[in-house]
This record gives sequence, structure tokens and C-alpha cells, in this order.
Amino acid sequence: MFKKFAPIAAAGVIALALTACAPMGDATPTEVTVVTHDSAVFTDDVIAEFKSQTGITIKQIKAGDTGAMTNKLVLTKEAPIGDVVYGIDNTFSGVAIENEIIDGELAPVNFGDVCFNYDKAWFANNEQPAPTSIKDLTKPAFKGLTVLTNPTTSSPGLAFLAATVDVFGENGWEQYWTALKANEVKVAAGWEDAYFTEFSGSSGKGAYPIVLSYSSSPAFEVRDSGDFAGESQTASIDDGCFRQTEYVGVLKKAKNPAAAKKLAEFLLTEPFQKTLADNMYVYPILGTVELPKAWADFAPPAKNTFGGSLDISKNRKVWLTKWSEIFAVN
Amino acid sequence: MSKKIWLWAAPLVFIGVLFYWPLLKIIGVGLSANWFEVYFEPTTLKAIWFTIWQAAVSTLIALLIGIPGAYVLYRKQFFGQRFIRALITVPLVLPTIVVAIVFSTFREIPAIPLIILAHVFVNYSLVVRTLGGVWATMDNETEEAAALAGAGRLRTTLQVTLPQLKPAIVSASALTFLFCSSSYGIILILGDGQVQSVETQIATAALQFLDLNKAAALALLQTLITVVAFSISEAIAKHPIGLEQVAESTRKPGLDSRDWPAVAVTAIAVLAMIATPMFIVLAKAFTFDGALSLQNFLNLAGRGDRELLNISVWQATLNTLRNVAISASIAVVLGALVSYLLSRTHRTRRARFSNRALDVLFLIPIGISSVVLGFGYLITFGDGPLPIRASWLVVPIVQALMALPLVIRLIYPALISIGADHREAAALAGANSRQTWWHIESGIIRNVIFTAIGFAVIAGIGEFGAASLLAFGDQATLPTVLYALISRPGSSNYGMAMAVSAILILLTFILVFTASARIPRRRRSSALK
Repeated sequence: MFKKFAPIAAAGVIALALTACAPMGDATPTEVTVVTHDSAVFTDDVIAEFKSQTGITIKQIKAGDTGAMTNKLVLTKEAPIGDVVYGIDNTFSGVAIENEIIDGELAPVNFGDVCFNYDKAWFANNEQPAPTSIKDLTKPAFKGLTVLTNPTTSSPGLAFLAATVDVFGENGWEQYWTALKANEVKVAAGWEDAYFTEFSGSSGKGAYPIVLSYSSSPAFEVRDSGDFAGESQTASIDDGCFRQTEYVGVLKKAKNPAAAKKLAEFLLTEPFQKTLADNMYVYPILGTVELPKAWADFAPPAKNTFGGSLDISKNRKVWLTKWSEIFAVN
Repeated sequence: MSKKIWLWAAPLVFIGVLFYWPLLKIIGVGLSANWFEVYFEPTTLKAIWFTIWQAAVSTLIALLIGIPGAYVLYRKQFFGQRFIRALITVPLVLPTIVVAIVFSTFREIPAIPLIILAHVFVNYSLVVRTLGGVWATMDNETEEAAALAGAGRLRTTLQVTLPQLKPAIVSASALTFLFCSSSYGIILILGDGQVQSVETQIATAALQFLDLNKAAALALLQTLITVVAFSISEAIAKHPIGLEQVAESTRKPGLDSRDWPAVAVTAIAVLAMIATPMFIVLAKAFTFDGALSLQNFLNLAGRGDRELLNISVWQATLNTLRNVAISASIAVVLGALVSYLLSRTHRTRRARFSNRALDVLFLIPIGISSVVLGFGYLITFGDGPLPIRASWLVVPIVQALMALPLVIRLIYPALISIGADHREAAALAGANSRQTWWHIESGIIRNVIFTAIGFAVIAGIGEFGAASLLAFGDQATLPTVLYALISRPGSSNYGMAMAVSAILILLTFILVFTASARIPRRRRSSALK
């Protein structure tokens, strides 16, 4: 008996398992899934507002950093993991377009300027002038003071890499990075790691007073008391900044394209746009939205930005491979 | 014979459709153009060299300190021995992501030595247990004779004992080398994305650059390394290598003054390398804002700083438990079936050859990194005739595939070791083969089956590579959630990662310790020959 039935039972189990997971058409238009990078926040107010406007509930899936998210969407484009994508930026939009994962157009939804920040308190305490340019970071005075992010695993890291290619040229950027390495910069895997753990000017109170972050970050370091009461403990270096624009788009083969379109449009309107500054540290694309006061005082956008005209998706692999060779540990 | 072919159908269909199909698909994609050049790119050569040398060094260190460990912990007898055995087994059983988290607390140590240390941490117990199992059952007459003849302890060890241990040493080395050469989570986290091995290059090529060519070419290379390591070890060990040992002789000598070098090495290894790192994690788990606190554990009900996770850690735990229940069931049922069929070898040459081929067919998944397999699932099952990629069942299926070779490695040698004697006796007494299975063998191998379930569960709980590619959104598993927490720190995320690791360490220790207490000393299933 046992022998006879074992294969049948086992085959049955497999067949059952396979049919059980055949895709089921989700006919209920009451939910829409938005795929985002790990830093995206949809507040309860935003979710409630969209629900009251359309009757649709937003479900968010965080899919890693911007690069990991975009590539996952490319690899799963035949059966996408969501309906809408939020947060593909101009360093990865080429990948999305080439691989045809977007139904229609990518619409700009926010922007932020990737710039270095420094801890004013640290430089005051050490009676040392703060850096004013990205070239300063290779000088002996700033040896071992900078933390930045790995461009292969973090989108601000890639943005800054692109900016250096623009600033120093195809022939000069590797030299600049070699000098940065010799000046003992710390490379963190992601922005959170760099900013919240390694940087001395934020909550983690790390060991590095210079960090690769955003021009808007100082707005979040305004102190209530102490030496920096009423002002920001940090400031942005207005040099070598990269303007990162993020997009929203409807995914091809979305299960729920009508709802997806509604959400993509909604994200460009005031109720969502006004939450961007406080929750995601980026500037809204909608010009009519008023910025918080701290932003106007301490977090203006960069005056000059670099790298915007480069073909990033074409060159990304070459740059990253060269960068990895410079920073290879083994 | 025809019956047997039918029995083979289920496991062959399972492994054929769900393993070899995506694997062939990757190879097909990879070999489409210029794949051979990949191997000669400087970054690839560096990654290959690093993969091999760090695995060799880790293996060598694990052996050097593991041999005295096996002697002290298995050849001798002393109070507290079982406690220490359980303690050193914890790292082997912990999810590798937790091992990485444990060693991430030693960031002052440069990345590469830290990676090697973590590899030794895991494999020390593999060496000690594999060698110890043989050493404990080895009869000591030859050694005593040599001692009587005036040979010193060291000479006896070198000339008498080690040669007898050779097969065990080879198989332990092979397994350690395999583990270290296919290590992913540990290198990813401790290397901060800057240490490149073949595995991390596969992930980078596939996930960062969408370079399927390179990913597939490297996956092929990784497989080759595995097959070679296994072939060498099996050729030398001459028997299938098992993982579990038993049947200790009941009377063993206590420690004496001449054992001090072995005792010293073992004490340092256990205290400094095994106990201290785990203790530090426990201490960090119970610290919040610099004070003793349970806050980190309370935070596990939430989704971390800045709502990082898609689901809470507890929900991820439930996902993991559900996945493991499914994957362990599949792996043990199919693994037992395959082992049973493999052990029924006819003594013809052809039968033995086809048996060997089938054995290898089911062994290969152990050498395919789960990253590769996860990647294969993404490109094979997204659409086409079997669009299962979006289902949560793919994660337990991959876990079952990863556990299947382990289960077979445990049960198959046990079945062989029962030997033909019992069966022949039973046949003479008129029992048919089914009766023989039920009445003789199933009883004998029950313990091995329990061990196999244990290993399948362990493999499932810790599986990270495939889950990181296939478990989206609310299907996140415990390891993927842990990775998110440790790679996106902020004070409370880091604390939560420590808290989960602490829970897993304590739970593992309790399980291992009670399991070792329950197993009768003279269990009859020497899996390792």
C-alpha cells in the first residue's frame, strides 16, 4: 500500500501546491499596491484622504533602495509586484524606460539635492574651519572626517558619483575618489547608516562630522536648546550637489490599472505633496505648496547642481565597476 | 523494478521542475554570449581568488582548533561536557544572518579577518562534531598498544589516531570549505558591500546591473567549486558523508594532566570565539539608551524606526514558521523516499552507477546558492506555463530544495549502515520488503528522521538568499526582516536586530541542549562511517 500510494500522494501534493499558487485575478478594485524604496512614507492622513476621494486603500510595499527596487521591478515585469511605482529617480529612470516597465510616462513627483552636510558644533568645538567644497574633502585637514555612501547600494551615493564625473571629468573623477580614499573617508552601505549612525550631527552622534546627505537635512537638526537653540546644528556644503528627481508611474501589466492611474495622479496633488518635506526630506514638485519655516531658513535647494546632463543608465556599470576597484577591500 | 521507477517519479518531478528547470534557464541565459570572458575580468578573478583562499583559510583554522576540541569534548569525559557541546553547536544552527549580526558588533576588526572569524565560529562545531563522532566510537586498543610500546601521546595521535580520523577530517573539511565558499549573508553584511566573493558578485551582477550573462557564468563556476569539493571528499571518505554521529562508547577516560594543550586550545576557542560574541549580543539586546531595558523586545511588535519594515517582526516570524512547516514536510518526505530508494541498490555495476548518478542529482542543490536559485525563479516562473513566482509558496519550495540534500545525507547513510544483514535475515524469515521496512528499518531510523526534521527546519529558518529575492511585502521572513533592520540602522532598529538575535540564540541553545539530553546514549544509527 505504502509503496503504491507514496508517489501518487507526493505528486498530488506538488500538483496541489502548484495550482494553489496560480495567479488569481484580483477583481476587487478597493486596493492599490504601490511599490516604493525604503525611505518613502505615506502618512495615515494621505491614505485616508485617498480613500475618501476614491474609496481605494493604498497598500505600500517597500522593496529596498532605489536601485534594488527598480531592478526587482524589471525582473518581475511579467507579473509585477504592484500597480504603481513611487520613487524611481533620474539615476535609474533610464533602466525603467529601457526595460519598458512603465505604462505611459514617468511623472516627476519630488526633488532633492544630494549635498554634503557638516556638523557645525563639531567644527566649532575643534576650532577648525568647516569645508566649503568637495575638493576640501581630500585635504589633510579633513582626513578621516567624512562618511559617504556606497554608490552600488545607495542612490545618494550614485548621485554623488555622477556629480564627481561631471565636476572632474571622465579623466579626473577616479583620481578624486582615489584621493578621497587616501584621506580615509568612511563608506557606509546606505544613507540611513551614514546619516543616523556615523554622522556626529544627528541622532546617532557618530564619529564623522561630514556626511553625504541632502541640502534639506539641516532643517531636521534645528535644536530647542544649547548652543544651537533656534538654529540648525548642521549646514549643507553648496558644492558638487546633484539634483535627484523622483518619479511616479503606473506599472505595465498592473492588476488594477484604473486605480493605479488614480493614485499616480493623486500623488501629484496638494494633499500628498505637502507631506513630502516633513516626511521624506525632499522638495515637492508642485510649486504652490508652502514649505515649512525651517526649510526656508536652513534648507534652501543648491544653487548649482551637477551631473544632470549625463547619461547615467548607460555609464552606471562602468562607473560603479571602476569605483568598486578603487574601494575594493579584497 | 517498475514499482521503483514509479516511486522515483515524485521526487524527480519535484526536483526537475522546481530546481533543474530554473537552473537550466539561468545557464541558457548565461551562456548566450561572451560568457567565458567574464572569468578573466580582473574583478571576477579577484572575487574567485578571495572566495577560494578565505574558504581554505577558514577551513584550516577550524580544523586546527577543531581537532583538539573533538578530542576534549568527545574522546574524554568531564563534568559540563554536554553543556559545552550544546553551546558550540548553537553557531552551526543559527541563521547565518544572525551570525553576521553577532560579528557586526566587532566592527573595529577589519572586514576580511572578521569574515574568517565568523566562518570559523560557524564551522568549529561542524569539525568537532564530525570528528568527535568518529573519535568517540573508535576503539582505543591500538592506541593503548602504541602507548604500551612506549609511543608518546603526540606520536600516538599523529601516527595512530589521525590516520583513522582521515575520512572524517576530509568530510568535515569539505563541508566547511563548501559553507565558506558559498557564504553570502556573512560576507554581504560584514564586508559592507565592499568585499567581493563569487556569491556577492552573482548578486551584484543580477540585482545591480541586471547582467544575466555574468550572473549565470558565475553561478556555473560556483556550482563547479561545489561539485569538485564534494567529489574529492567522497572519493577519499569512500562512503556517503553523513552529518550526525552517535553510538558513543559509554566508558571514556577523564581528562588528565597531559591533556593540557588540547584543553587550553579548546577553552580559549569556546570562551573567546563562541561564548563571548553571543554574550555581547545578549547584553546589547537588553540595553536601550545605555540602560538595562526590555524596550528592544517591546519594539518587535512594531515596524521599526521610520516604519522601515512592511510588517512587524512577529508577523515575519509567523511567515517563517508557516514556510518552515511546509518546507520541512516536503524535504523530509521526499528525502526519506529518495534515501530509501537509493539504499536499495542492486549489486550490478549498472545499478550502482545509476544510483550514484541519482545521488549526485539530488546533491547538487546543496551547491547552488539560494541567491542563484531565487534569481532563477524570478526569470523562470514570472510567466510561462507555471507562473508561481508571485505566490508565497515559492519561498517554502526553495527552502525545501535547499534542505532536501541535507535530509538525504542524513537518512541515506543511516539506511546503508543498517546493513543488508537485517534485511537478509528478515527475508529468510519470510518477510517481504514492505514488512522489512516497517518492522525493522523504520524503527531504527526514527531517530535519524527526527534529526533530519531538525536540520530541515534549521535550514528553512535561516534561509536568506532566496527569500531576499522572492519574499515581498507582507511575505517577508525573519532573516529578510533582520537584514532590513541591520542594514538600515538607527538606534531602535539596531536594538531590534539584537533582540531577535538574542531570542534565536537562547532558543537554539535550549533546543540543542534538551535534544542532546533526550537522545539515549547508545542510539543505534551510526550515520557517519
